[in-house]
Amino acid sequence: MGIKSSFMIAARSLMRRKTKNLSAILAVTLGVTLLVGIQITTDTLENAFLTSLLQNEGEVDFKVSNSTTTGYLTAGDKETITDIAPSAVGIMPELTMQVPAMLGSQYDDSVELAGISTNYPQAFGLFYDWKTGNEMDLDALLVSNTSILLSSKQAKKLGLDEGASLPISLTTEFTNTTGIVVEPPTISLTDWTVEPTAATTDYTLNSNPDSLSLELEQVAYPGMMPSLVALFKMNISMLSLADFDYINVTATGTSNVQVLLQFSLDDGSNFNVTSLEDKSLPVDVETLNSLSFDLSPYAERMLRGDAFLVVISVDGMPASIEISEIAFETSKPVISYSSKIERTELEVVGIFDSKRPGIGSQYSGAVLRLEHLQQWLSLQEREKELDRVSSYLVALQTNHFTSEISEEYLQEQVDIVEAAIPVAVDPDTGDSEKIYSVDSARLTFFSVAEIIMTLLSTILTALGLLITITGVLLITNVQLMNVEDREFQTGVMRAVGENRRGITMSMLIENVFQGILGGIFGLIGGLAFGQTVASYLVSLFGTGELSVQPIISQQVVIFSVIFGVALGIITGILPALRASRVNIVEALRGIKVTFEEKSGRNLVLLGVLAIAGGVFVLLINGVIDKSYEGIWLVEGWNTLDEWRNILIGAGLLFSGLGIVLSRFISRVKALNITALAVWGAPVFLFVVAMGEWIPDISGLAPDILIIGVAEIVIGSVLLVSVNLSPLMSALRTFLVKIKGLKGVGQIAPALISSHKTRSTLTFAIFAVILTLNVTVATLVPTNLSTIVETEQDSRGIDLVVSLNIPEANITGLSYVEELYKLDNHIVDVIGFKTYKSLTNYQSYLAFADPYSSEFDYQTDLLPLGYGEITSEQIRGNATDSLDSNWRYDFYLSSFPDDINQPPVADVTDEQLNEMSKQAWDLFFDNSYTMAAYNVSLSEILSEDRDLGDIDFTSFSGYAGYELEDVNVLRDENDSVIENPIVFTDSFLLPIGIQVWIPMNSSETGFPVYQAFTVAGRLDFQRAGGFPLSSFNFLGGGDFNFMDALGNIYMNKYWANQTSFLAEANGVTSTSKAPNQYNKFLIKTTYDMDDPRIQSIAQAIEEFTNTDDEGYRSLAEDNFYVASTTVLYSRIEQSLEMTQRVVSFLQIYVTFGLVIGAVGMAVISVRNVSERKREIGMMRAIGFPRTQVMLSVLLELVVLGIIGLAIGVVNGVLISVGFANMQGATLVIPWNDIAVYLGFITAIAMAAGAVPGWFASRIPPAEALRYVG
Amino acid sequence: MTVITDMKNEYSKIEDREPLLVISGLHKRYSEGKSNEVHAIRGLDLRVQKGDMMAIMGPSGCGKTTLLNMIGHLDRRSEGKIIIDKIDTGKLSDGQMTAFRRDKIGFIFQLFNLFPFLSAVENVETPLLLQGVKAGVAREQAKMLLRELGMGDRLYHLPSELSGGQQQRVAVARALVTEPSIILGDEPTGDLDSTTSTDVMNLFRRINKLTRQTLVLVTHNRWIAEQCDYIVHMTDGKISHVEQGPFKTEEESK
Repeated sequence: MGIKSSFMIAARSLMRRKTKNLSAILAVTLGVTLLVGIQITTDTLENAFLTSLLQNEGEVDFKVSNSTTTGYLTAGDKETITDIAPSAVGIMPELTMQVPAMLGSQYDDSVELAGISTNYPQAFGLFYDWKTGNEMDLDALLVSNTSILLSSKQAKKLGLDEGASLPISLTTEFTNTTGIVVEPPTISLTDWTVEPTAATTDYTLNSNPDSLSLELEQVAYPGMMPSLVALFKMNISMLSLADFDYINVTATGTSNVQVLLQFSLDDGSNFNVTSLEDKSLPVDVETLNSLSFDLSPYAERMLRGDAFLVVISVDGMPASIEISEIAFETSKPVISYSSKIERTELEVVGIFDSKRPGIGSQYSGAVLRLEHLQQWLSLQEREKELDRVSSYLVALQTNHFTSEISEEYLQEQVDIVEAAIPVAVDPDTGDSEKIYSVDSARLTFFSVAEIIMTLLSTILTALGLLITITGVLLITNVQLMNVEDREFQTGVMRAVGENRRGITMSMLIENVFQGILGGIFGLIGGLAFGQTVASYLVSLFGTGELSVQPIISQQVVIFSVIFGVALGIITGILPALRASRVNIVEALRGIKVTFEEKSGRNLVLLGVLAIAGGVFVLLINGVIDKSYEGIWLVEGWNTLDEWRNILIGAGLLFSGLGIVLSRFISRVKALNITALAVWGAPVFLFVVAMGEWIPDISGLAPDILIIGVAEIVIGSVLLVSVNLSPLMSALRTFLVKIKGLKGVGQIAPALISSHKTRSTLTFAIFAVILTLNVTVATLVPTNLSTIVETEQDSRGIDLVVSLNIPEANITGLSYVEELYKLDNHIVDVIGFKTYKSLTNYQSYLAFADPYSSEFDYQTDLLPLGYGEITSEQIRGNATDSLDSNWRYDFYLSSFPDDINQPPVADVTDEQLNEMSKQAWDLFFDNSYTMAAYNVSLSEILSEDRDLGDIDFTSFSGYAGYELEDVNVLRDENDSVIENPIVFTDSFLLPIGIQVWIPMNSSETGFPVYQAFTVAGRLDFQRAGGFPLSSFNFLGGGDFNFMDALGNIYMNKYWANQTSFLAEANGVTSTSKAPNQYNKFLIKTTYDMDDPRIQSIAQAIEEFTNTDDEGYRSLAEDNFYVASTTVLYSRIEQSLEMTQRVVSFLQIYVTFGLVIGAVGMAVISVRNVSERKREIGMMRAIGFPRTQVMLSVLLELVVLGIIGLAIGVVNGVLISVGFANMQGATLVIPWNDIAVYLGFITAIAMAAGAVPGWFASRIPPAEALRYVG
Repeated sequence: MTVITDMKNEYSKIEDREPLLVISGLHKRYSEGKSNEVHAIRGLDLRVQKGDMMAIMGPSGCGKTTLLNMIGHLDRRSEGKIIIDKIDTGKLSDGQMTAFRRDKIGFIFQLFNLFPFLSAVENVETPLLLQGVKAGVAREQAKMLLRELGMGDRLYHLPSELSGGQQQRVAVARALVTEPSIILGDEPTGDLDSTTSTDVMNLFRRINKLTRQTLVLVTHNRWIAEQCDYIVHMTDGKISHVEQGPFKTEEESK
């Protein structure tokens, strides 16, 4: 019989065996649903995240700005840029500046004003009104230099809603420079005196404001010698010669007069307007009168204030000269400027939707017409050039919102443009430099998003993978049942002459059909699932910014159907093969195919291979890879990388051993050894090693976790499976003693142990899912310390106040003192200086040497914030490390290298205090330096990361490095590079990394970089973390990714070298005076959760934020805004956030539980229908209906409970590992476990009761007639 | 007419003794009220005395098995009355019926219907456990009985590991173990070869003689039927006639 008959048989069995087919299809459906759903969720999340990041970029792919000292581009640069960026579809000029803004009583510390040309290219899209959605006509709206468009983002921040009627006036400050035209100065002609020694003749000097007249008498020997008089003049005004072009002298005199006129300069040199020696300079009065002396060679100089005049009568005869004017002149008027900050009212003429596609989405501030902003900007500086733009924006394609630009293409284009930038030669140094710089925020976002998504999707994929396993288990289970209950039929088919291939074929055809149907249904289910979870996610993390459209990639659709079919086939192949091998006679007689007791030869070979593989992997530690220690050493068990190999090696070794041994000893014994070893290895890791041996678990990677969890689950399931018979006979012994359950006890346990494979698969589903569930459920209480602990850990800091700008620098006015005055319950206020610029890349932190040729400021700079921590800010008794106040307000979770020894797994508070104190001592020691290590951020940011590189221990250090595993950096002379140290609260920075901080703006306006080693990380887990860490604001209101990057903290010495934390090198616009703070930590006498703290916070805000009152009146500045954060509510928020994350994970894993439930129902229905006959027998020999039902139920309940027990034990063991890792107390969520128990019992009841009830209702005679 | 006379004679004879099973006016209709209604038993009366060994014979579809299922209360009757051991089963609830079946009736099936996942001894002890007998006691009784039936060396084998005859012995043991009032056999030897059949029938006769156990066997094997005390012949859901034994002994038939 051929394929045709296979088809016929398959078709017939598909038609006839409806329940069974449906259950198989359902199983595939569930599996595919899981897979597709998880994939869609992950994709959607990633896309939503990336979109929200990229949306800020509108249609802009990169921008080109001036990289030379002038800092600006002009209209003329557009042509050059067009030439070097041939692929651009749009280029537009943009000018930006930051201004403070006040709308009514709402303040924002700074608003970005962007000047854009209103005739920008189509490629950049349009502006849309946020209310009506209509296209905005920029030309009609932006009519004057006070007309602005506000972005909807900014409008919301300023408290506007869509009902606001326009125009609204927005107050801002512009630096206004006013100039007065200065009359060209003339050299005063009074007060000229004769230098006594220089006179060689008699003279008459008459100097008055109008003229300087000098008459020389005849000398004794006229014709022989000239007469000479030298005059000098002090106190000429100090005059910048840059303002003047030439000197004009108005003089009359006799023809025999010669004149020398000399001016001294600020650098000690001088210049002659006329010269006696230099023949090129005329000396006679006539030419002096008509001469314009060119001052341009001296444009950079100042007059020192003295001049020198020599008058000679060449023939010694009487002579006279009258100078009526010595004037400094210029072709342009000389203007004297004075700068003043002035209030300006801008009119908001429209509000555009900054979430709509188009250029508008790029702006979160306000938009002006380019020429208007140029006008405003020109007021700020003396430079009167109107024609200047900050940068040219370049778009490479027209619609980024519907088709995202490829990262590779963008990078390629940026590289092309970068290579084509013209070079200019610096006339002073002779160095050549590129005149433009190109930067693409879009590219940065790509890589940033990648980090976050890799983390997130790794976790999700790991979970998803484990959950999908349950789906596979379910399908296999159902397929296995298919074969089991078809053995008879197969026997008949074989008996009537169907060959093995035919049987396999007909079963495969069935499976493919089921797989396709299941794949399609699964796709639909997965879409629904993905959509639901994705929108739930948005409600969980919702900032309202994420647009969540489920992302259904074509691959997912194709993949899911293929996966369904493949799943059907793969899970079907084994049973089909088994079916085709059926012994005809045995099948017809109903003899169950049982496992061979001993391993066959092929199997033994496989076992030997596994043993060899296992031994090889184990030998990697210490033998093959010398960087690991061997497992025969104690040290060989103390790093996670060593454990990775131990886990894999032990797993392989013992699996192989079990297979080989079962050829010689009984399979049960052999497999028991395997199961115990496979289960024991990771348990040992979690429970013992993580607690005691492994000092640093910060590098726990998901792959170790997945391997560990997989081995725990496999080991435990195998262990229970091989011991199922004794376990069940124990259960039977117990049950048959109970009256009314004797019959049930006789049947149910025997049934379970007779279908060992099926039973194992069933409880394995629950074991996997519940292991995950219990682990996740345990994570919450274990991970989070209670409020009480938090209160202790916070050391009494109740409140954080942030000022939008540093406090006023007015003598006798201190914000700290003002705060003390506000409420006498405030007992301590500590002021801090922090600084962060999101727009000025010259203040960004560099991750590579900015002076090296390889430095790429697109990838090597990140906008981290800076802060100063001084020793005065840390309170307490310095000599007493037990003083809980001492240096404990700011936790350090890592320390400079030489005090981080030897690390103790469980650090007591005293030890932590002591270590923290030592670390702070080093921090405050300017002369202390620490080696920099070979860890780089670019490696972390690069794409070729694998799972092992990612740190899984929450966000406490995205590093994956341990200092002992990496080398110190050496310079070209091979000496260790040592730098001063800084601390950080950024999760991004690995400890030991070398960073460069722009210390100050030099004269040229470019930063001077200083290298540092990141030596310690401020704890942001305990007590809600370091109170200033911006990371802690995650989940509370607006999520700003850039803020979450964190800060670098310097000691006072280094903070003083920067202009953004101190007056490093003269006052600049960013520099701060000592004690000019902008953040304040406040302790009160109240308990942490006292609501009165909220009142203090309100009082502070009222004091600071009321116009012309309180602090605003004291500082005479109505732009001050204080925002307060009550630490308790922040901790609550972060608790809530963690709970949200966990509840999201719960939903994820609970889906597995649902699969388990449905699977159980499927299995139960199948069980009952195929056991109709046995049920008939039971009824025939006197089983009451209740006991029939009970035995159906009991089977499921027992399997469910075995699964639960395995899950709880495994989950708790894994959680012990987590608790060890976090140093937290393990809290077992008994409530959740009780819920799971209830859930499983309920499922088993529901799944078993309905078919059981129907079964018990069938008249026994009918049930007995049932065959297969 | 002779048939009727014979039957009357039978009944008069039966009345002398204690009637264990009394059936009167029994009807069974399958798919009642539907177009495909089958009237399997059409007003049947029967009495069986305690200790009788009775065979029911008849062509296929005459209602033999249906009648047996009615007696064994594996199926509901459409109308009529069945009294077993002085109990009118019509008044029993489902629970009482199950207990009745457990205590009063032993079944032996053509396909043995042993629980495939229970060993021989477990199969046998199950009815005892259902009666609430202590597990240890039940196990002992089951073992004893199996040993008596010559299955002492097969106590812990699964049915699939036993031959047909052995399986049927286990089935017999299971039917006997509760010492029911009546044992019903539906083609108990139908699946067995003639030698094994003989063994099983000898077993039945021995049991019948030793314990005065009432046996009702359905068969279409004349030879099997002749091992019984009398044969009830059925056609079209009714008893056509009763053939009174004794028939030829085993030796004679050979």
